[in-house]
Amino acid sequence: MAGTLNEHSHGLAPVQMRSERKRSADLAEFDAITMRDEQWRYVEVSRLKGLDNLPMDEFSGDIELEAPEAVSASWIDRDHALFGSAGLPEDRAAAAAWGAASQAYLISIPDNFVGDQPVYLTLRGDHLEASALHLVISAGKFAEATVVIDHVGKAVLGENVEIILADEAKVKVVSVQDWSRDSVHVSAQYSKLGRNASLEHVVVTLGGDLVRITPTVDFAAPGASVDLQGAYFATAGQHLEHRPFVDHSQPNCKSNVTYKGALQGNKAHTIWVGDVLIRKAAEGTDTYELNRNLILTDGARADSVPNLEIETGEIEGAGHASASGRFDDEQLFYLQARGIPELEARRLVVRGFLNEVIQRIGVEDLEARLTASIEEELARSIA
Amino acid sequence: MDRNPELEGIGVYEFGWSDPDSAGASARRGINEDVVRDISGKKDEPEWMLERRLRGFDYFGKKPMPTWGSDLSGIDFDNIKYFVRSTERQAQSWEDLPEDIRNTYERLGIPEAERARLVAGVAAQYESEVVYHQIREDLEEQGVIFLDTDTALKEHPEIFQEYFGTVIPAGDNKFAALNTAVWSGGSFVYVPKGVKVEIPLQAYFRINTENMGQFERTLIIADEDSYVHYIEGCTAPIYQSDSLHSAVVEIIVKKGARVRYTTIQNWSTNVYNLVTKRAICHEGATMEWIDGNIGSKVTMKYPAVILAGEHARGETLSVAFAGEGQHQDAGAKMIHLAPHTSSSIISKSIARAGGRASYRGEIRVAAGAHHSANTVRCDALLVDNISRSDTYPSVDVREDDVSMGHEATVSRVSEEQLFYLQSRGLPEDEAMAMIVRGFIEPIAKELPMEYALELNKLIELQMEGAVG
Repeated sequence: MAGTLNEHSHGLAPVQMRSERKRSADLAEFDAITMRDEQWRYVEVSRLKGLDNLPMDEFSGDIELEAPEAVSASWIDRDHALFGSAGLPEDRAAAAAWGAASQAYLISIPDNFVGDQPVYLTLRGDHLEASALHLVISAGKFAEATVVIDHVGKAVLGENVEIILADEAKVKVVSVQDWSRDSVHVSAQYSKLGRNASLEHVVVTLGGDLVRITPTVDFAAPGASVDLQGAYFATAGQHLEHRPFVDHSQPNCKSNVTYKGALQGNKAHTIWVGDVLIRKAAEGTDTYELNRNLILTDGARADSVPNLEIETGEIEGAGHASASGRFDDEQLFYLQARGIPELEARRLVVRGFLNEVIQRIGVEDLEARLTASIEEELARSIA
Repeated sequence: MDRNPELEGIGVYEFGWSDPDSAGASARRGINEDVVRDISGKKDEPEWMLERRLRGFDYFGKKPMPTWGSDLSGIDFDNIKYFVRSTERQAQSWEDLPEDIRNTYERLGIPEAERARLVAGVAAQYESEVVYHQIREDLEEQGVIFLDTDTALKEHPEIFQEYFGTVIPAGDNKFAALNTAVWSGGSFVYVPKGVKVEIPLQAYFRINTENMGQFERTLIIADEDSYVHYIEGCTAPIYQSDSLHSAVVEIIVKKGARVRYTTIQNWSTNVYNLVTKRAICHEGATMEWIDGNIGSKVTMKYPAVILAGEHARGETLSVAFAGEGQHQDAGAKMIHLAPHTSSSIISKSIARAGGRASYRGEIRVAAGAHHSANTVRCDALLVDNISRSDTYPSVDVREDDVSMGHEATVSRVSEEQLFYLQSRGLPEDEAMAMIVRGFIEPIAKELPMEYALELNKLIELQMEGAVG
């Protein structure tokens, strides 16, 4: 979906393809944020709490890493080969965070690594001044690992996360946004996949006043596959926005995008804009994207936009679906018929709805914590 | 420009001939306030319409070009004629028409259609102004008004002023603003309470002056419990430089009424077709848009239904065919404002030979519109690997008790399908055309027979040379 005008040979024309959107690490390249810009049409700029401008502090909260021995972590400078190797900012907030981070925190998973324990990174914020953080996750050839980024505490955080998968790597990256209610978080998560690499990217967003996650996927070679999963639960006044983009530029790659959201309370607002682009060279692509929203109370608003741009007919398949609505009456009836009271039945339906994504995390303690957190919110609405 | 006999035989574009360009020579190019005043003055319009036009012109200057959609940078607003008068007065009968205009319509088959009593009335738009208009007497007896919009403003000023610009205000978007400033021609339909118009009202439009913008304005009012089917068909001759067509269609569907609006757009492939179409449905009313987009260089058109009354229903069936050099950016909008409203959108698009077909839609469910339901189904067919298909839906739900669904598929014609048909003795191009016809069949079957035939014919013409 175009949002800005590009200089054209004879005047200004809308961006005609998702890939034409500007990419730059330089804040000055991006205009001030307004709701006229498609990328920001749902965001009140004041709610960004300064994340759209420089200067900005660097993230000063706790950074805690639990990881198998073979996995190394270090701070790298901006001139490091991996810095900026997965992608560049596509919007002003990402560019501001990029400019503010003098270093990046690199998690390096060696070639052939196979871990049974997750690489677990906890980012615990402790104040509400705008700050920036740059993470790089690099997985070597044939590496198999799960990396969790657990965002907790309170923060106004502008974040860039780069995920680089070498050939044949098989990695799961989980990004959990479990912030305090007054936090603000914008996170651009770029991934680049080598030949036959496989990425499972799981996003779970619960806390925060405004959270905006923009995962992008680039294929560096044929044969890779990506599965983008997301679950979000917005309560009164929360703005939770997710904008995944899969850029199929290589042949025979697969992508699947599934985001599910629940909303309850006045002015709970979720936005999901899923872009899939299949370029001419990407023959043999197989893609499907899906967004489902469950609106639990009046006053909530769910926006859902699954965009699909296709430049070649030589594909395996492409489709998308979006559905927003209330509880499935049939499911409710079925549960009630078995003696489960309506409120309990509703709780079960929501739990089942979001758990489909949450159970993809594969880290038990975290799954339990997130499920409990959702149940707590649900109980509040039902009471 | 002289008649080009060599253009008459062009196979890819059947209606690609053109008549001597006499009316256009004197028309001015470019737009300013004087042009707007001049148009209003020539039409001897009431003061309020001039004011409305000037407001539209003001908005046109202020509104930005769309920051989404197609590349419109090829439009040169200074090189467009905003008003062309073809004849000084309206013809009363077929014989009164100038010969060249008659010839044009002979080729479009209008007299035959009328002889067959297939159409209820024919409003033939030629160079911005309706030159031929006839309504069957029984319709008049029922109180149905079917006029060109200019005449309707003169003859029915009260009803006109009551509804004009109420569904699409002057500042709705840049092109609706432009239309408000310079509109000319179009159809005006009023169907009284309880009247069901049994045969479709039909109008042919035609751009026939080089670089001339056509800004027709259509206003349809279906009073309570009435029914009308309005058919708009477009064909235009081929010209050397780009033309702009920017129409506004407003429809008011009152309580319990039903309106069906069918368009098969087949502008020549140098026309920018930027059209605003919107209907408002009151309690229990139904609006159906059947929208075919075959021609034009660029089409941006998203027929909308505002579901303002309880139990109102909106439907859009859309088929787009994008061939070489074409961008069909079409879709639909459904705005649910009242409880128990329902809507459905079915979109089929075919892209070939480097063309681009986009579905762009918007579904909005306002708070309070509980028990609303919507389904969107988009299917795209790619017949080669140089064409492009996009889907840009947007769903905004603000009510918990609703059901919304959107689904899209993109598929290509498979080798197996072709092989199967060829093994039954069909040549490849016929097999391809058959698959495409099957693909759009759900929409074709909603068309009146002669339109379905025309659509099939157009698809066949488009598919010529698609294989091999």
